[in-house]
Amino acid sequence: MKRDQSDIVNNQGSLSVSDESIARLLCDDNHVEEAVRLIMKKYGEPLYWHIRRMVVAHDDAEDCLQETMINVYKYRSTYSNEYPLSSWLYKIATNESLKLLKNRSGFTMSVDDLGDSLKDSVREEASPNADETLILLQEAIALLPAKQKMVFNLRYYDDKSYEEIHQIVGDSINTLKTNYHYAVQKIKDYILEHQL
Amino acid sequence: MKDFDLEGLSREMPYTMPEHFLDDMTERVVAQIGKQRKHRTERRIVALFASAASVAAVALLFLHPFGSNGLNIPDYESISQCASVDEVLQSMTADELGVYSLMSNYYGN
Repeated sequence: MKRDQSDIVNNQGSLSVSDESIARLLCDDNHVEEAVRLIMKKYGEPLYWHIRRMVVAHDDAEDCLQETMINVYKYRSTYSNEYPLSSWLYKIATNESLKLLKNRSGFTMSVDDLGDSLKDSVREEASPNADETLILLQEAIALLPAKQKMVFNLRYYDDKSYEEIHQIVGDSINTLKTNYHYAVQKIKDYILEHQL
Repeated sequence: MKDFDLEGLSREMPYTMPEHFLDDMTERVVAQIGKQRKHRTERRIVALFASAASVAAVALLFLHPFGSNGLNIPDYESISQCASVDEVLQSMTADELGVYSLMSNYYGN
């Protein structure tokens, strides 16, 4: 692969490939598999955790991540470099997570009605030695409406700016700020109520 | 009022990710993409052959003799240009005449 000026060799001597280079490879039919490998190496873990926080169960997160990567391949021609590659990837992952939850909720319920069953899954999925407050935090997140959950996770765990969250979720920045504010309040209330 | 310090909380997750999960996932995704690309290439080849066959069929329809002149029967002029049977017999060697008479008897002509 040709190195780009923006590709950085890090302290361990391994190459950290820039998003621009990955996007270029992704659009080149002869290098698409290489691009997918690079995306998995760079974004596989954060995307997995982003999905897992939404769907809770590992098996569901696995399905969603695989579907996300297949969609990255299928719809690579729709990627526009006016947005960061990471925002595009997070957007696909978010849509896949919502799709899975929508399928789970069926025709009669909305995704937001799944809160209780997702909350129950948190304790089932948690490691035996997991910190109780971290479990409570995940339970509180599971109970949030989908939009608040997305905004909170992207801001709190992925350190995304509101501008980036806007690129992923699509709402106005003021709406996102309001969603985050409500999410934080509900989470605090839940933890205070359930903490021993 | 009691408050909870959310910002001071660890960003750790209470779940674990199975070992080698991401490596396995990468291989699975790459294999699936490879399969899809192969199918796409095969579909393109089939489509290419189908269009080439269509073009050939259309070309045959326009260029074939029965396309312009009905059945493939030589016209009168080309028949008249053929040598007469007598001329042909005269030009034959003794051996050829022997074979000709043998065949004529065989076919009853």
